Amino acid sequence: MLRYVIKRMITIPFLLLGVASVAFVLSQMTKGDPLAALLPERMMSNPEVVAAVKAEWGLDQPLPVRYGIYIGNLLQGDMGTSFTTRRPVAQDIAERLPATLELVIAAMIVGSSVGIGIGLLSARFKNSALDIGTRGFALLGSSVPIFWSGLIFLYIFTVRLDWAPGTGRLDARSTPPPDITGMYTIDALLSGQMTTFIEALSHLLLPALILGWTVTGIVARLVRSSLLDSLGQDYARTARAKGAPERVVLLNHALPNALIPVLTILGFTFAYLITGAVLTEAIFSWPGIGSYAVTASRSLDYPAIGGVTIVGATAFLLANLVTDIAYAWANPKIKVSQ
Amino acid sequence: MQHYGNLHGSFVRACVVGALSLGAIPATGEAQESKALVVGRAMDFNSLDPSRSFCDTCQIYLSSVYDTLVALGADNQSLQPGLAESWTVNDAQTEFEFTIRDGAKFADGTSVEASDVVWTFQRMKNLKGSPSFLMDGMISIEARDPRTVRISLESSNSEFLNKLSAPYAGIMNAEVAAAGGAIADETAAEQDQAENWFLSNSAGSGPFKLVSYSPEAELRLARNDEYWGEKPYFAEVVISQIQNAVGQAQALESGAIDVAMQVDADTAASIRSDDVTVEIVPSYNFLYIAFAPGAKGMADVLTPEVREALTLAINYDEMVEFTVGGNGAKQAAPIPNGFPGTANLPLREQNVEKAKQMLADAGFEDGLSIMAGYPNDNVYGVDINIMMQKVQQDLKAINVDLELRPLTYAVWREELYGDGLPMTGLYFAPDYYGAGQYPAYFAMMPGTTWLARSGLDDQETLVNPAAADLYKQALASSGDEAEAIYEKIGLEMMKDNMIIPMVSPNLVLAYRNDIKGVRYSACCNLPLAELTRD
Repeated sequence: MLRYVIKRMITIPFLLLGVASVAFVLSQMTKGDPLAALLPERMMSNPEVVAAVKAEWGLDQPLPVRYGIYIGNLLQGDMGTSFTTRRPVAQDIAERLPATLELVIAAMIVGSSVGIGIGLLSARFKNSALDIGTRGFALLGSSVPIFWSGLIFLYIFTVRLDWAPGTGRLDARSTPPPDITGMYTIDALLSGQMTTFIEALSHLLLPALILGWTVTGIVARLVRSSLLDSLGQDYARTARAKGAPERVVLLNHALPNALIPVLTILGFTFAYLITGAVLTEAIFSWPGIGSYAVTASRSLDYPAIGGVTIVGATAFLLANLVTDIAYAWANPKIKVSQ
Repeated sequence: MQHYGNLHGSFVRACVVGALSLGAIPATGEAQESKALVVGRAMDFNSLDPSRSFCDTCQIYLSSVYDTLVALGADNQSLQPGLAESWTVNDAQTEFEFTIRDGAKFADGTSVEASDVVWTFQRMKNLKGSPSFLMDGMISIEARDPRTVRISLESSNSEFLNKLSAPYAGIMNAEVAAAGGAIADETAAEQDQAENWFLSNSAGSGPFKLVSYSPEAELRLARNDEYWGEKPYFAEVVISQIQNAVGQAQALESGAIDVAMQVDADTAASIRSDDVTVEIVPSYNFLYIAFAPGAKGMADVLTPEVREALTLAINYDEMVEFTVGGNGAKQAAPIPNGFPGTANLPLREQNVEKAKQMLADAGFEDGLSIMAGYPNDNVYGVDINIMMQKVQQDLKAINVDLELRPLTYAVWREELYGDGLPMTGLYFAPDYYGAGQYPAYFAMMPGTTWLARSGLDDQETLVNPAAADLYKQALASSGDEAEAIYEKIGLEMMKDNMIIPMVSPNLVLAYRNDIKGVRYSACCNLPLAELTRD
């Protein structure tokens, strides 16, 4: 197993280099003027200003030269400087990634635990009112657009009921905790700032619930169908024949097997949400990777697009690796290829 | 009794009280309540460097942190002393001499000197950044003594003082900025490395100073205790990123923010909280359509007669209703209502019959097809898509088929400077109070942006010599005389039928009832230093 993990880890940098190259070429081929992010519209007709900006950002160089410089810098850990924020892309990502991770981890905890619970109930009480109700709830989660549910939840729970705080990671008047991991809840805990911890947690709750609801829908349906499949297998029938109560058959025999495909989905969903929580981040003014990616793509911010692509690719590669390892751990019959 | 900060929501309070009553969690009380002013905004910063930045939020930031030599008064028209306590201008409007205010200090406590002004303006000119046009025509600048600056222009420019009131012309502490990598000499465009430094530092003498900036999250300012004028009420100001109008309105209602300026009229109408004041005031912003006769295939189509016919087909009254629900105004020429020269300009009116006749006379009895490409954005509360749909609807009445192509901003710019866009829709907000910036950008005069964007190889055919002459006269005169000339320029621009204003949207000022002093400034959007809390 260790050899397998090391082998996979070694291939990751090469895969990332390929991904970065493809992202660079594709973004350069995309229709649009990269000066859009660098120059206000009114300055575009000033040839002196245009020339100065092109030279400053290297846009006056031919494509192969730009590619060479980009890859050369990348190999030294330099992702370039963002056209929009005017800061090193690595710095932007380092600031935003913890915010996204905090949100996605919270959403995954909420979504997977509720989703597994709902899947269990649905399978156990198949075709009952409870099954229909919980499946409906799960279906809503994956069907209702986040931009709608986010705004409605904010209106109900923040504006009307005053149960939850507004947007952002903290109240704008509060000071963030010392930067240790970049995740405010964790950093506040590590620093012993309990008020800040509770404030950060309360700000995290609503976006995590909204995002987690989408995960719930996916997980619940998968768990239900997997469980129903497992409950019809020989080993479940044998357990029943040996007198095991249905609860034991469900939890001890069927569930462990049913969760194996769920691992794949959870791994994939986690990686997807790292760059895919765009709408949640936009609605809740959550300064994460998703909103950064949207701004970058709208303004053809090549360096930032490249940086986000690398982060997304890394998330998928690592998630695949972790899923493979978890698979082998969860099901001894599955052996990873050496 | 422990105070738990400004946590909103009984859920949160219940968590806090519950946790503490169990004795499980020691509260350190680090998130102390403060009286910080919070402004919710979709920040559009392109830079925090005064000589590079150019955006609406930049105007708020720069006017709070960097003082200008002259300042725009609260009446949005008159110029008042800023860092310069007095100034003189020669009759030809070519020589300007400023006396720096005695006792004016930068945030680090050092005195503002004439050499700082010289350094700032030289850097702005040499850096060739976005606001460098403000220094166009400056042939020399010298510090005659520590408190006196003299600027010479190559030709008359009665707009120069107005330009100096733009927030981008804020004076920097030369020594501090230079230590951060800023360069003012002729090598600035290639050698200046200070842009990153300005993202976490400021070097001004304004009422506030920069504390921190996190793109797409927040910008924090602190009161400048060295400020020479009346100290601002708020010790701390936070501009908090909230991207959309609905989010800003909700945050305002919940008390998370104190002021929002990007709430459109429709969203403002949905605000139910009694704790929020909503004011709707006229703005100096406007949205317009523009023609490019030189766009591919349009040379024999967008003739002056056809352009006039197209403008006659548009129902401008309905446009104001359609785009902003009546919360706006018609605008005659591409000079905003309320600016010099606009008071007596005749507003455009729809005349479908005349439009049809003109099209027929131009040889288009069977109508014609035109493509309109425009940024697919919502600006100043106006959805450009909606605006263009109204244009499309009106042109249909004269048998003109308008193909709409909403584009991302980057693609729009590429197409504009590629084959050209026969028609486009865009927006404009003033950089300072003064009518001169409009002909300099919109009029069919040599060197203007929109003459270049016409796309014609032979731009001479579009040049309006009367406008060019009038513009020279306007820059050489001032006061009522200049205003009368700007009116004539406005009429000339209307005759050209190249830039057609569609609507000047009103601005919604939404703020918590306890905030006083909120107003719209033509140069600076929101003067933060004037705000107080009851």
